[in-house]
Amino acid sequence: MGLSDSEILMPASGADAVRAFGDGRDVTVFAGGTILMPMIAYRRYPQRARTLMLGRAGLNQISADGNVAVGAMTTLAAIAGSGVEPLAAAARDVADPEIRAQATLGGNLCAPPSRQGPRGDLQAALLAARAEVRCAVAGRERIEPIDEFLAGLDAEPRLVLGVELERPRRAAYSSQRRPHAHSYAVMAVACAELADGVRVAAAGVAKRAVRLRSVERALADGAAAEQASAGALDGLEPQDDALASSWYRREVLPVLVRRAITQLGGG
Amino acid sequence: MKAVGARLPRYDGVAHVTARSVYVDDVRVPGTLVAKALRSPHHHAAIKRIDTARAKRLSGVRGVVTHEDVPNNVYGHLEALGIPADEPLLAENDVRYRGQPIAAVAAEDSDTALEALDAIEIEYEERPALFDMRNALDPDAPRMHHWGGVYPHFGPHNHRRVRKGDVEWAFDQADVIVEGVYRPQAIEHCPLETQIALVVPEAGGRLTIYSCTQAMYFSLGVVAAHLEVPLNRLKFVGGTVGGGFGGKVDTASETIAALLALKSRRPVKWRWTREEEFLASSTRAPWHIEIADAVTSDGWVLGRRTVTLHDSGAYARFSPYGVTKHAFHHTGAYTIPNLRFDGFVVFTNRVPTTAMRGFGVTSVSMAVELHMTRIAEVLGISPWELRLKNANRIGDTTANRVAMQDPSTVPVTLAAAERVGEKLGPEYAAMTADRRSGDLLPEHLVAQQAPEGAHVLGNGGGS
Amino acid sequence: MQLNVNGVSRAVSSPPLTSLLEVLREELAVLSPKHGCEQGGCGACTVLVDGEPRRSCLLPLAAVGDARITTVEGLGAPGDLAPVQSAFHDRYAAQCGYCTSGMLLAAHALIERKGGPVDRDEVLDALSGHVCRCTGYVKIVEAVMAASRGQVGAEPIEQPLAPEPSQPEIEIAGSPA
Repeated sequence: MGLSDSEILMPASGADAVRAFGDGRDVTVFAGGTILMPMIAYRRYPQRARTLMLGRAGLNQISADGNVAVGAMTTLAAIAGSGVEPLAAAARDVADPEIRAQATLGGNLCAPPSRQGPRGDLQAALLAARAEVRCAVAGRERIEPIDEFLAGLDAEPRLVLGVELERPRRAAYSSQRRPHAHSYAVMAVACAELADGVRVAAAGVAKRAVRLRSVERALADGAAAEQASAGALDGLEPQDDALASSWYRREVLPVLVRRAITQLGGG
Repeated sequence: MKAVGARLPRYDGVAHVTARSVYVDDVRVPGTLVAKALRSPHHHAAIKRIDTARAKRLSGVRGVVTHEDVPNNVYGHLEALGIPADEPLLAENDVRYRGQPIAAVAAEDSDTALEALDAIEIEYEERPALFDMRNALDPDAPRMHHWGGVYPHFGPHNHRRVRKGDVEWAFDQADVIVEGVYRPQAIEHCPLETQIALVVPEAGGRLTIYSCTQAMYFSLGVVAAHLEVPLNRLKFVGGTVGGGFGGKVDTASETIAALLALKSRRPVKWRWTREEEFLASSTRAPWHIEIADAVTSDGWVLGRRTVTLHDSGAYARFSPYGVTKHAFHHTGAYTIPNLRFDGFVVFTNRVPTTAMRGFGVTSVSMAVELHMTRIAEVLGISPWELRLKNANRIGDTTANRVAMQDPSTVPVTLAAAERVGEKLGPEYAAMTADRRSGDLLPEHLVAQQAPEGAHVLGNGGGS
Repeated sequence: MQLNVNGVSRAVSSPPLTSLLEVLREELAVLSPKHGCEQGGCGACTVLVDGEPRRSCLLPLAAVGDARITTVEGLGAPGDLAPVQSAFHDRYAAQCGYCTSGMLLAAHALIERKGGPVDRDEVLDALSGHVCRCTGYVKIVEAVMAASRGQVGAEPIEQPLAPEPSQPEIEIAGSPA
């Protein structure tokens, strides 16, 4: 049985957590537990030698003076109340108050796609805000752009310690949500205006969140919301899953893009 | 008359809000074993071999049962009503839906029980599966039920029939024929309390069965029949149910738990997981309903032809009864004198379907109401007035020839119109449920009216 | 380790990743939190952890530490109901009762946090993770709003609409009336 054989480690600081994580092979990282506890109940807990519980490791601070830094163990409820957009709006979208009070940034960021549909509600917001992920790999801390982090997540185990970002000048978030506990937003679009322009990202249209570069280019060229959203699907092939069909996603994504850009204030 | 119109406290209200209500899962009996079932991973397969030897040898395992351990493995809920049985308690030669139980174990804890399930060896030979009831009657459809594609025991017919009046005449007379297809889908009851039973062997040889059933005496009969024990060997304790909605009439958990309690001589509790509930508990049936109505341009529905397919899933359970109710109600709140109805109980490789809040009736009510609105659209007349015109009235007879004593269509429709501010023509606003007369007793409805004061009972829909 | 449940410190020995739900029900026989789904989707197992509602099926024992756990058993008892319990009873907000424990605790936490009347949207948000399959939620929402306004036990059980007849209208042999 995967669970009873797994040694449980409870580091008391971030540095201890990095050491305990080691190279990450054969380690299950246990953050809020909203995904892992059902796996225990249904006997699907990963068969790994060690379980690293981060509950006492700190890592749950948000600092938002100047640049924003959010610890990996910060709950979605805390992010939802932080006023840091578009992250706060994305966090408010997740499940219900009890789940948000337990689920964490780090867990949300690392959650693999579920059998039913995509996960990782904050990914689009973090991509749009050009967040950087502070993580540890084999005992060494590094900072990597969120795009690279997401692309490399399956290849090399990382322990997320937090994210850092420049606070966007303006931000917007638009989603199609199923209002039920544990039902993630079917699709979400986040926009953030940074010093060098507007970034747009979408969740729910690929395995992990993606940037909508055609839309960004159109906005940079001065296109209005209607024209910019026309390129929303460029390079994307949304799939069918239990939450929505590919057809539905193709129809709705441009609408969400248009709403988000409009909300951002023109474009 | 102390209760009617009064606001009485719930007898179990204080217990509910203080969590003193005792559901089956709250009953604590020392030494209770945990039951788990091995369920088919396939939608349709032959079972070539079942080997439980290794599971039985595991330490902590106190009982393993398969079809060989059931005194009377095939028993149907409605056998007493002359509906023959088709469903095994534990699958023997084949499995016909994913999640069908094949074996069950009782062990000291749930980890051991699950380990024992893993140790049971079963060899399957997968067969093609059928999921769409519309294909069940195709010549090349996978054969998945020993009775064929449909339930064959409606008297001399293989489907429920209603024949009333002269439907050919009605379609000859019609100005317009309005057709529609309606397909309500399966619904999981999803009670918050999943299926659960606790069975305690008592010193005198009796079994005390704590059950979440909605249908205590059904369950008593079903368990006794499978186990081939007299009713007085079983003591059922129930009455506090964590939601059922029709999904707890099927005796889903008691019999297997009882079998394990007999085998292990220990108390056994079997609580389904939420996944099991969704995968393997019965659902409301999907239906495929085709209606064609013969209609006059001024809004009289002269006749109706209906073909209904009811997806029974892999076994019959209560489906023949549900389709019979569906047949009796297939004109809904309206009187249509000339009818031809054919309703089929169709087998597929889906989970068996069952009652849910108006078994067989809600589906056809939904179809009928949508169809009435469609007729009104085709004719370009008020959907309110169309409904009132064809409404059931005192003395009208239902599809199965029951004379109506107190039909509510007219007062309810008028009340609804008033609430939403719908202005009706004076002749409609003045209507009552009284016997049809004058303009509202047109030629085609004269013959179908029951004589005044008569109470005519149907004979089962003309089959 | 020790677990603080309804103000009483109780010794528990379940492994650290055992869910609080399992510990409460199976080890301590505290039965108000219910098994509904064991995946955080229904709210039937909700308890209060330091006064805030949490899904006990999602909380590992190791994460609870010395937090105060409150269940319905600690909220009020027959004859001494908490306002939210009274309101649920007065207003027929419990039907089968299986979701009631979780609803009561989430509602109680909302009312305590607000410290005054709560509005409909606040109730809907606070109970958004709680599934009831019987009632359609209308009476539950009304009960929470009433409890937050102290409208508890104020509504007397109504008298029958018709005057009570001196003789039973229909006498059935052997009937208790």
